[in-house]
Amino acid sequence: MKFLFDLDGTVTSVETLPVIAEHFNVQDEIMELTRQTVQGNVPFIESFIKRVGILGKLPVTEINNLLTEVPLYPQLQEFIAKNKEHCVIVTGNLSCWCEGLMKRIGCEYYCSEGQVENDQVVKLKTILRKEQVVDTFKAAGETVVFVGDGNNDLEAMRHADIAIAVGLTHSPAKSLFAITDYLFYNESALCRQLNLLL
Amino acid sequence: MPTIKSVVISCAGIGSRLGLGLTKALVKINGRSLISLQLELFKDVEDVRIVVGFQANEIIEEVLKYRKDVTFIFNHRYFETKTGASFYLGARHAHEYVLEWDGDLLVHPDDAKMILNTEGEFICYSEKSSDDSVYVKVNEAGDVLEFSRECGDYEWTGPACFHKSHLQYSSMNVFNMLEPYLPMKGLKIRAYDIDTYNDYQRVSEIMKSWEHES
Repeated sequence: MKFLFDLDGTVTSVETLPVIAEHFNVQDEIMELTRQTVQGNVPFIESFIKRVGILGKLPVTEINNLLTEVPLYPQLQEFIAKNKEHCVIVTGNLSCWCEGLMKRIGCEYYCSEGQVENDQVVKLKTILRKEQVVDTFKAAGETVVFVGDGNNDLEAMRHADIAIAVGLTHSPAKSLFAITDYLFYNESALCRQLNLLL
Repeated sequence: MPTIKSVVISCAGIGSRLGLGLTKALVKINGRSLISLQLELFKDVEDVRIVVGFQANEIIEEVLKYRKDVTFIFNHRYFETKTGASFYLGARHAHEYVLEWDGDLLVHPDDAKMILNTEGEFICYSEKSSDDSVYVKVNEAGDVLEFSRECGDYEWTGPACFHKSHLQYSSMNVFNMLEPYLPMKGLKIRAYDIDTYNDYQRVSEIMKSWEHES
């Protein structure tokens, strides 16, 4: 059994890109793009390339430090800590930005990759396709549960054995309603179900 | 303390026989939605699981007005399947004992309490009141011996409590899932199905009389 979690707004109780944007005062550009992406109005990959274009010029070390401190949902954090071998974070975020945060969460993770030079992202090397991570675990014989909230989780949820949509930080993308098995608006109820699935 | 039960409320259906153009959970009885009346019965139950299909968005919105810690479960095949499929989906990852509760069933609040406090597996039935229904035949102890479309001692209204080991997928009705396990303990309750517009009108009056009692 593998529990795959989206990161932003699912395990973290805030979206991480707006945190970066606010810290560096580029929120106007980022907020609108994030909102449109979460709702499925801008394709995820296009949006991600644009966001990295804006944020890549900012110092990687400072972003990593900033994201290490991002608040997490405490009961989910506890579930992951207790069941590390079953849990995986699957995020489109760049690994160079969220290494510290991943270390804090403590389980296996998959991210997008950027090329870093002089403490800046100079090139986007890979953009994570979450459904490929689902497929890899399924091919290894695992039952895969995917927990996510955005339109960019749709394909991964469709491929998973059990799809769980959440509306903890913001409303889940409505597109998920067409394919999800479960939907939660409350952290305790979500964790109760995760424990029942173990 | 009674054993922890999950409660599965099946609200995925279209409600076509009622003819109000609404799924039954959203139908208002004396000004309150049926789902809100049911949520009140289960306010002390931790694991409330609501199976949605037709008008899922509207049901979710209505439920969230009352509580957020529910589990929503989607029956995407609600058009082709019956209550058995919704119950299976609602129960497959639930606690060991699962109480099946139709979204269109109105149960007397005192009987709802009794049901929640009853241990083990059981089937609930009521005095006959609907025109088109399934009946149960019972023995002297009140145990359910048989379900029948033709005749019986009482009307099968549900709810029923299952052990998860007895849960098997069915695209048919909940009572079809119970048939292999008969005879089973029976509980007589005051409950009314809302299938037709006549049922709906009658239930509105019954609700008023229950409120008057308390």
